Amino acid sequence: MTMDIAAAEGDAAARSDRTAAAAFEARILVVEDDESIAALLGRELRGLGHAVDSVRFAEDALLAARANDYALMIVDLGLPDGDGLDLVREMRRRSVEAPILMLTARRRVEDRVIGLSSGADDYLVKPFAVPEMRARVTALLRRPSRLRGHRISIANVVVDTDALEAVVDGVSLALPRKQFQLLELLARRKNHMTPKRMIEETLYGFDDDVSANSIEAQISKLRRALKAAGAGVALETRRGIGYRLLGSSQAPN
Amino acid sequence: MRRPTPSAADLKLLDPEGSFRGRLEKDRQAIAQLSDSGNLDELRRIVHGLAGAAGTFGFAEIGDIAIEIDDRSVAGEAVTPAEIARLLAALEQALGKPEKSA
Repeated sequence: MTMDIAAAEGDAAARSDRTAAAAFEARILVVEDDESIAALLGRELRGLGHAVDSVRFAEDALLAARANDYALMIVDLGLPDGDGLDLVREMRRRSVEAPILMLTARRRVEDRVIGLSSGADDYLVKPFAVPEMRARVTALLRRPSRLRGHRISIANVVVDTDALEAVVDGVSLALPRKQFQLLELLARRKNHMTPKRMIEETLYGFDDDVSANSIEAQISKLRRALKAAGAGVALETRRGIGYRLLGSSQAPN
Repeated sequence: MRRPTPSAADLKLLDPEGSFRGRLEKDRQAIAQLSDSGNLDELRRIVHGLAGAAGTFGFAEIGDIAIEIDDRSVAGEAVTPAEIARLLAALEQALGKPEKSA
């Protein structure tokens, strides 16, 4: 493959990723001591619409992870003050749940296995192709179960993903399992459109029989349940695009 | 087979301010000096950095040679003058410098 083709593919992938990312801005921590790679990652991730913090040392990464709520971390294995594997293990020991993309020049299969076993969610070997890095970041950010926080608040609604309970104005709202899963997904992506396909993937398995209007029916039931409970949220439908949960003050008239 | 040198347009996408090219020049000078002085630990550190970064920025040949050296170094094998000469030649070609005759 020539570099021109690679660049063209990269451009196309960048456009695609930027479209996908436009609805979801994430805060990402980059832990990388190579200045060139760190600068490249920062530039590309900001180009996707994300906010990026960059540190060189494992110790700084631990401090940053404690002080901020990152949606994703990209961690190089060879850091000046320690092994990235130890850093990942320590992050997990401290219950840092953000997805971790491990970045390393170690190319052996056993290195990749150790990296993933240590708590990383994905592994990218250096040198890497920028379009692949973008795609892996976008894929990791797409995993709703790994987004931040056990209690998600929107207006007077709290979704407690540990207790599997939705609360409106302090009163528990009894929801069937699928409606709770739907509310959790929409609350995690509050104020952003959630495509119908993503809802299908969250609510149903490959073998489930999903009828054409299953999602619409679940949305309708959830909307009624929220309204009946006095939730100060609006569940907006955009035909052909998806659904969005908004605080009532943000809902379009 | 020698891989194509990235075009100016490719480099602009990956390295819009040309800072990686500047780093290659610094690394080239450092490798030459460290090789002469026998400071192999620092030499390995620079080569390891190039193994990870050069290919990402489109300098595939430099990256490939650096990876070979890095792999041998990690395996506990000695870095040979011939390997360093190959790496320096690849750096010089990428930077548009005339290669020194052996």
